[in-house]
Amino acid sequence: MSVRLALRAAIDQSIEIDGLTPDRVATLSEAEIAGLPVITGSRRAVLGDFFTVSGERSARLQIEGDLHRVDGLGAGTAGGELLIEGSAGRRVGAGMTGGWIDVRGDAGDEAGVGMHGGALRVTGDAGHRLGAALPGASKGMTGGEIVVNGSAGADAAARVRRGLIAVGGDVGADAARAIIAGTLVVFGRTGAGPGRGSKRGSIVALGPIDIPSTYEYACTYQPTYVRMLLTYLYRRYGIAAPDGSLDGPYARYCGDAGVPGKGEILAYTPGSR
Amino acid sequence: MEIRGVFIQDTFAEAFGMRAARLVITARTHKWAREAALKLTGFATSVIACKCEAGIERELAPAETPDARPGVSVLFFTMDMDSLGKRLTERIGQTVLTCPTASCFDGLPDAADRLSAGRALRVFGDKLQISKVVGGERYWRIPVMEGECLLQESFGVQKKGVGGGNFLILAESGDSGLAAAEAAVRAIEGMPGVILPFPGGVVRSGSKVGARSYTGMIASTNDAYCPTVRPRTKTELPDGVNAVLEVVLDGLDAPTINGAMRAGIDAACRPGVKAIGAGNYGGKLGPYHFHLRQVMAETAT
Repeated sequence: MSVRLALRAAIDQSIEIDGLTPDRVATLSEAEIAGLPVITGSRRAVLGDFFTVSGERSARLQIEGDLHRVDGLGAGTAGGELLIEGSAGRRVGAGMTGGWIDVRGDAGDEAGVGMHGGALRVTGDAGHRLGAALPGASKGMTGGEIVVNGSAGADAAARVRRGLIAVGGDVGADAARAIIAGTLVVFGRTGAGPGRGSKRGSIVALGPIDIPSTYEYACTYQPTYVRMLLTYLYRRYGIAAPDGSLDGPYARYCGDAGVPGKGEILAYTPGSR
Repeated sequence: MEIRGVFIQDTFAEAFGMRAARLVITARTHKWAREAALKLTGFATSVIACKCEAGIERELAPAETPDARPGVSVLFFTMDMDSLGKRLTERIGQTVLTCPTASCFDGLPDAADRLSAGRALRVFGDKLQISKVVGGERYWRIPVMEGECLLQESFGVQKKGVGGGNFLILAESGDSGLAAAEAAVRAIEGMPGVILPFPGGVVRSGSKVGARSYTGMIASTNDAYCPTVRPRTKTELPDGVNAVLEVVLDGLDAPTINGAMRAGIDAACRPGVKAIGAGNYGGKLGPYHFHLRQVMAETAT
């Protein structure tokens, strides 16, 4: 038993549906769900104008269609399960505190911004500012886990305070910029200027990475932490690490030099053993 | 009741409620995981003088451990929560933290009661330690000369642990008693949720509460079962019994003890064994009573 929303027709203008969360629909009837507010441009509309709704009072919510112009899907989710069959717009899972959101497609910019807890998985690519801070906020993600099977844009994990972000492909420039704490794992290439202004965050780079000059080399070793982390990501999210990356070795760099310098970049360096 | 000619005495094992933790110790190889586990569970036979009881539960394949390395599962018992935390911190700190490549994880993730035994150890890192949260669990990365020691912060506690399940093997000779005890241990080893805290799983110095001749003793020799003083004491030994060995069991719950006692006693019923008995204190000290004939009801002939 789940609540299903299907997009009636393609939409040509972004719509915002803040507050459509599985924990909320768990208490609502079919008619109440169809009556939830939608913002489109300067007009107010209701969910039923764009979606056919079937099912009610279930914490399992399924949304289908080409949703790349639908913003704020699952924002503020506190529990339950949201399955998005198709690409999501901006701010999917923003500020979520619990539950599980699965995007079976791409996610727009600011996926998981200001997230506090729960899990957000994107099977395709994610846009810019993945798990970063909401406009004006001092902190990005403060808890929970984001896993992107594809690649992510610029500013991934910027200002993250706590939590785990794993990207199966590449990340763009300025990854983990001003990260306070928490972890960003990049399976592919890490873009220019990673970890600038990092206080005590971790970047685990399994692919190519240019270490900023403000990071200082410490040693090359086999961190059990990385092994445990990659094992966890595989077992929980099915995201497989490259052969040999469990054993390492990893080069550890401490930085960023301008701030306390408790941050780190752990760069997989196969062949340097 | 008899099993293959071995008399099962109409008595019961008296056991106590204990607080239990399960530790998953991993390392680069089984050898090093085992080295850490052997040290951690060393000198942990009885709470009377060791302050805890511990033993290796089983070996773990990489697919069963959090970091996909070979591991060893250890069960750890004390009488109360407070001492469980203290003993865990002491022992993890002196054995896992010190052991090359070893890590320590919680093996009771579903337990509602938790102890932060790993948290106290973080300060060894002298503020250079790193905290990481993965899957909602906090881990500590403590810098050591080899690299890093990874420890989980919180450990689950099983409040319904049972300590002191036991049975006595009353044998015709020392050799036949030892062979029967070894067979019993082999039958129990590897069963989930149970450990045998004594050397090789076997105790020769069963005790009674207090002493006949010394005041202030917590425990003294169980003279009723000591063959050499048979004429000098109120013996419990049947004719023809010349050696008694005890198998003591600690488990995560009473049904686990019950099942392990059944397997162990069944294996101990072999030629050269006269009877199987059990240790108790009249039933007033421990809340758990394992009546041998009830335990063995399914296997008796």
